[in-house]
Amino acid sequence: MSLRLDGELISSFGNSGDTRVAPPPRTSAWLAFVAFGALIATQTYAILTSPPDRDMGNLQKIMYVHVPAAWMTFLAFFVVLIFSVRYLWKRRENDDLIAASAAEVGATFNGLTLMLGMIWGRPAWGVWWVWDARLTSTLVLFLIFVGYLALRAFVDDPDQRARWSAAVGAIGALNVPIVYMSVKWWRTLHQPPSSPETLDPAYTLGLRINAIAMLLVMIYFIRRRYEIARLERAVEHMTEAAAMGGR
Amino acid sequence: MTASNLTFIIAAYTVTWIVLLGYLLRLVRKGGRARADYERMAQQRGGGKSQ
Repeated sequence: MSLRLDGELISSFGNSGDTRVAPPPRTSAWLAFVAFGALIATQTYAILTSPPDRDMGNLQKIMYVHVPAAWMTFLAFFVVLIFSVRYLWKRRENDDLIAASAAEVGATFNGLTLMLGMIWGRPAWGVWWVWDARLTSTLVLFLIFVGYLALRAFVDDPDQRARWSAAVGAIGALNVPIVYMSVKWWRTLHQPPSSPETLDPAYTLGLRINAIAMLLVMIYFIRRRYEIARLERAVEHMTEAAAMGGR
Repeated sequence: MTASNLTFIIAAYTVTWIVLLGYLLRLVRKGGRARADYERMAQQRGGGKSQ
């Protein structure tokens, strides 16, 4: 008997009927060192060089973590959308695993964005939380993907899990444009989106390099999580083969 | 920089690093467990072929 994990061999050992799934390559540790090293360097640069904002003073320095975390949330959920749709179209197992990996990383950044927003909101607005459109839609996005991860944890059948989570992931990711546009569509306490185009040039470089460093961290997280997902799936395949007498 | 603002700035960067390093630690632990499970399963399946 031979098994295939999404077209990739897997392995078959002569005529013995023995099957073992090839392990995925290890994610290089150097990427982690580069990503976290870059984050330390860019945060230090931004904190030390950016002048106080006219209205917010030095609270503006929170932007260098809050805004990149929000961008990484959007990007990770965009990856979920792409690979979920691709899974529904082609039924390739790796697409499901990439979408699931990006969803977990995206949910982590989403939670971080919410926490940083609350920490920024307390001194800037005088409250930790308001139910305005931006904050509420970001919370809804977070809850959708917590639900996505719970769904994957509770469904045992791999095909059913992949189909259901692809549907939830694709629909959930459609909330991203709503979150982004919420500050334009509704009156909110939250300010309009921060971007290099809307910022004073004194803050632009700091924001850009922090976003790049955070992007490296996100890429490392998704790659590492995907490696783990493939290992877990390989074990599932081997367990299924053993149960079917495919030893 | 007022003292209260400084507190919030420090809190924001602390939370960021706790979340990022916490998630990294989770991945390292989970990865170690997943690879150990894989090695054990592969060994059982490969090791049993001559029996």
